[in-house]
Amino acid sequence: MFRPVPLARIAILRTIAYLFVPVDVLLTTPWVVQHAHVPGSLYEPLLLGRLLHLPTPGGWVEVLRWVLVAAASVAATGRLPRLLGTAVAVLYLEWMLVAFSYGKVDHDRFGFLVLLAVLPTVGAARRTDRSGSDAAGWAVAVTGIAVVATYFLSAFAKLRFGGLDWVDGATLTRAVVRRGTALSTPLLDHAWVLHVFQYVLVGVELLLSPLLLVRWRDQRITYLLVGGFYGFHVMTFLTISIVFLPHCVALLALLPLERFAVRRGKPIPQRELVPT
Amino acid sequence: MLTAAGRRARVVVTVLVFGLLLAGTAFGDDDAFPFGPFRMYSTRDDPDGLVVSTRVEAVDRTGRLLVVPDTATGLRRAEIEGQVGRFRADPALLAELSRAHDRLHPDEPAYDLVRVVERRYRLRDSRPTGEQAEQVVAEWRR
Repeated sequence: MFRPVPLARIAILRTIAYLFVPVDVLLTTPWVVQHAHVPGSLYEPLLLGRLLHLPTPGGWVEVLRWVLVAAASVAATGRLPRLLGTAVAVLYLEWMLVAFSYGKVDHDRFGFLVLLAVLPTVGAARRTDRSGSDAAGWAVAVTGIAVVATYFLSAFAKLRFGGLDWVDGATLTRAVVRRGTALSTPLLDHAWVLHVFQYVLVGVELLLSPLLLVRWRDQRITYLLVGGFYGFHVMTFLTISIVFLPHCVALLALLPLERFAVRRGKPIPQRELVPT
Repeated sequence: MLTAAGRRARVVVTVLVFGLLLAGTAFGDDDAFPFGPFRMYSTRDDPDGLVVSTRVEAVDRTGRLLVVPDTATGLRRAEIEGQVGRFRADPALLAELSRAHDRLHPDEPAYDLVRVVERRYRLRDSRPTGEQAEQVVAEWRR
């Protein structure tokens, strides 16, 4: 859990995660801020909101939004990593409570919330610093566990809420009937494909996802696995128009991102400068 | 290098957070966010059962009937479905959707009627049979 990881990876993860926050808040989940205008009678605060006596969303949500976007934008530069990182983690969690206190909780946030929570614990990190840090190692390890838990434990949720015969149900048929795309709707005529995919899904969640945590001697296996999971999320988007974007950002922590920083520093081979 | 105390604190936090997540997965519900179970698509649908798809319709001041998109009221379809029990029990609560629409879109004609409509698709062997029925499950008039 404390196996050293280059600080460069933390620096790159910070840039990506903190730049993703404004993208998420302003572009990909624009509905959250609209909750400020929904009358309080439809607000159903989650346990954490009730425990902390958080106020019912209203005009202040707009302020929260811009403070969060500003804090994340500055944090993306790497400045004041502990202070700004902590602020972003806390504000983003509150943003999530505003998002999910109206009758529906999304399940694509756990890995990203853990990533935001642990990034400030590493302290200063430069993109060119390849020296190993055990604090960075812990941050990457727990983010990895959170990402894998999202897959692995969802299989247990299927067992708990759907039962052992979830795999033989019509859950994916329902998903396609309700949210189908041009690509997936034809599959309704070949229901066996959706049926088989339910087995594949549980297999991937239970057997394949833990392999993401293995330190493979051959790093190509890591790339292959992570790439495979990105492929899975692209396919989910193309078939039922659901995308686990924040989760996909957290998944990046498992890749040796530090290599890209160093590679960029190398001189560019001459042939790439020739116009094509 | 982390100090011994730094390592200990991290181990404690790790055990605590993932312990809560495991407890939430086993016993909790969405209410326990962020430690609730990852229950997306976890319920089982009967291959010979019904698939329900919900929408909100409104009649605005000009008499136009429209399907209300998520952006009109600030509530997503899944949120309407999450609270549909409350709308069934107390259809007057739909007036709040109309109020939300007035606040978000003051330039658009107000809603005089709001209703929640469920379309039910019949399945056989995990395939839609083509048979479907619609039902208004809650309706409010100004």
